[in-house]
Amino acid sequence: MENFDLNALGVVFDWDALGVVFALLGAVLAALMGGIGSAIGVGMTGQAAAGVVTEDPSKFGKVLILQLLPGTQGIYGLLIGFVTLTQIGILGGEAPTTLAKGLLYLAACLPMAIVGMVSAKWQAKASVSSISLVAKKPDQFGKSMIFPAMVETYAVLALLISILSITSIASL
Amino acid sequence: MAVVEMKRIHVYALKNNRKKILEMLQRRAAVEVSFPKGTDEELGKGPFAQTDTASARQTFEKNAQLINSAVEVLDTYASFNKPMLAMLEGRKGIGVREYDETAKGAPELNKTASRISALGKRITDQQAEIARLEAQIDALKPWMGLDVSMRTIGTGSTSVFIGSFPEELTEGTIKTRIAESAPEIEGVEVEVVSTQPQQTCVFVVCLGKYGIKLEAALRGMGFTYPAAPSKTAPPDRVKELRERIKKAGEEIESAKQEIMSYAEKREELLFTADYYTMRADKYQVLGELWQSRHVFYLTGYIDASEADGLKQALEQKYDALVELETPSEDEELPIKLKNGFFGAPVEGVLEGYSLPGKWEVDPSKVMCVFYYVLFGMMLSDAAYGFLISLACGIVLLKFKNIEEGLRKTMRMFFFCGISTMFWGVMFGSYFGDAIPVITRTFFGSEINVPPLWFAPLDDPMRLMLFSFLLGIIHLFAGLAMQIYQLCRRGKYLDALYDSGFWYMLVGGLIIALVGSDMFKDMMNLDLPIPSVVITIALVLAAIGAVGIIATSGRESRGFKRLLKGLYGLYGVSSWLSDILSYSRLLALGLATGVIAQVFNMLGTMAGGGIIGAVLFILVFVIGHVLNLLINLLGAYVHTNRLQYVEFFGKFYEGGGRKFEPFAANTKHFKITEE
Repeated sequence: MENFDLNALGVVFDWDALGVVFALLGAVLAALMGGIGSAIGVGMTGQAAAGVVTEDPSKFGKVLILQLLPGTQGIYGLLIGFVTLTQIGILGGEAPTTLAKGLLYLAACLPMAIVGMVSAKWQAKASVSSISLVAKKPDQFGKSMIFPAMVETYAVLALLISILSITSIASL
Repeated sequence: MAVVEMKRIHVYALKNNRKKILEMLQRRAAVEVSFPKGTDEELGKGPFAQTDTASARQTFEKNAQLINSAVEVLDTYASFNKPMLAMLEGRKGIGVREYDETAKGAPELNKTASRISALGKRITDQQAEIARLEAQIDALKPWMGLDVSMRTIGTGSTSVFIGSFPEELTEGTIKTRIAESAPEIEGVEVEVVSTQPQQTCVFVVCLGKYGIKLEAALRGMGFTYPAAPSKTAPPDRVKELRERIKKAGEEIESAKQEIMSYAEKREELLFTADYYTMRADKYQVLGELWQSRHVFYLTGYIDASEADGLKQALEQKYDALVELETPSEDEELPIKLKNGFFGAPVEGVLEGYSLPGKWEVDPSKVMCVFYYVLFGMMLSDAAYGFLISLACGIVLLKFKNIEEGLRKTMRMFFFCGISTMFWGVMFGSYFGDAIPVITRTFFGSEINVPPLWFAPLDDPMRLMLFSFLLGIIHLFAGLAMQIYQLCRRGKYLDALYDSGFWYMLVGGLIIALVGSDMFKDMMNLDLPIPSVVITIALVLAAIGAVGIIATSGRESRGFKRLLKGLYGLYGVSSWLSDILSYSRLLALGLATGVIAQVFNMLGTMAGGGIIGAVLFILVFVIGHVLNLLINLLGAYVHTNRLQYVEFFGKFYEGGGRKFEPFAANTKHFKITEE
């Protein structure tokens, strides 16, 4: 068995060719999950915002801002997706030559994908509460923005790790 | 750092000048009427008393409300070309004389307003009536084939049944079923008036003696009488109803005409509404005054810089006696902010958090610098910054009469735009990478505008470090504010304990970290920090740490104090998270640039040529407007967050009460002093 050669059996499989597949999977996941999270989030906040506007149309501007807050994760996801595409030979850069490198890209995209999706949903919940805060006390708008923005911090941190990893993998 | 100095003003004057004095105070909007606690007991003993003005105030408020709702009716039925940017134009100024004239016309306009409201009510009533009549016509539709009254029950020798079955039946089926269930009845005549899938309307006639039996048989088949039988034959009834609808329509039309005839009174109505609002406010103050038979007394807070002018005016014009007094230390003074050209715009942001509390300074001046810089870094695109500054600049130049609050916001975004331009040039971003993309796609040769500093996407690590550096400066500025505040109150030791030690600890740790090998490896950055400096930094950090442990629990004793001190040292973790929080500068800056790039790339998908150019322009305009709006929102929210959470967290609590002078809180006009 020591000299066993898989290729001799005619089972030739170039595992390294899968590198770019996994790299693209990462890019797609980042855009996909961030987008899903933001869509859920903005949908939730939109319902609350529409409710407030039925009562008082003059609050439209304020609740619109609060509605859009959980929308950024989708953008961050797109950002990571795009930057990855420019690195893996699809929109520029060079395709990963080994399976390991492709998996590295996939791993690098995961923080944004997962944290993006989850944080968008929870940010939306904070935003919905802030919308009801603004409905009752419009003068507290400044503070109401901060509660959802607190949740976003973690999406920003995930974005940071993802982007730092992606831009450094090529030089490994 | 300017919280305006407040003085307490006391005004004693004769009652025959009361109206004029109050009106002047209201126009000048300089005094917040406020009687200190305990005035009641003191003044209540003498000849002074307060008058109850609540009912008069309510009348005025009701009038203002009536007029506002009348204007709403007017706006619904008469069309006005409201300019698109009406919001920016501000309130129209009106002189005192004009004010007095309109005041005279107020009762007349009040009547007009009631008339308009009544007309509006009539229109809605008639519209409801029309809906009701139309429903009746609908109910009669199946009966249109019937030419006798629906309430016909028969003649001397016959019985008639008019009603419906809940299914679709033919004449034959009905006759058969009647014959089946009551074979003894003879000579039944059935006429089907109309049939629908769920309903058959019938006219049934038989000899009078079989009437009761036939009814029983019909009931057995599900026969019901109509819910609202018309007295006259249905076609006649429908005609009558249509006539009534027409009449109601005419009435609506004439009411609309009459409403439109009041269209030119809109301005006057709005002014009168303002007039009543002002009077309501005035009566509120009037109710607070202490009055004897000939004299009244008023006291409140006034901006110290305006105090002398007002004192003179009151004394010379109205023979009043005015005293100015510096308020005592323990009074809760109302807060009014005053800042210069750069600082004033961010007052709104500060107010969104909270106004400075009793011992705090106004941080606007320090805050504004960071606000503009941080905002610019988050948006960081020269073209976007230019567009923002241009829009705000045009508004500021064109609408001179714009409301003060809005003007400040505009000015804030103007400066933010300039800062965005600056950072855009530093990072080489003009609509993202639009310049190289356009020149490459449409003109064949690529022109690159190199960034003045570096492109963030090429070296994100560098920008992250710079973000942290900015963050540290921002946070240290916050600590410096804390020291300033404490020193101003003479609490020098507290300043050392609560801020000085933190400077040593955090500053020392940062220098030691930057000098460490780990940092050099991580960042590929070799700052030649001599080892002596690092040693000194570490010693400083140690002194800071020991100091914090020793002092942060200083209000407790013994073991508890030590625990509290250790917990205080744990605050170093919050410093870590505060500094990390500034990485959002990098994240948001990259987001703007990358999304802009995505749109530029989408635009060039059709390549060069005319079709390509059309597509590009379309994608470019829509995409960049979208990107600008989303990132503008992001930059605004996150700049606020960095100010509120990280910066204010170091020194600012707020809790001040806003200075709310007795003023004309009008919506449509403002009264100007002649």
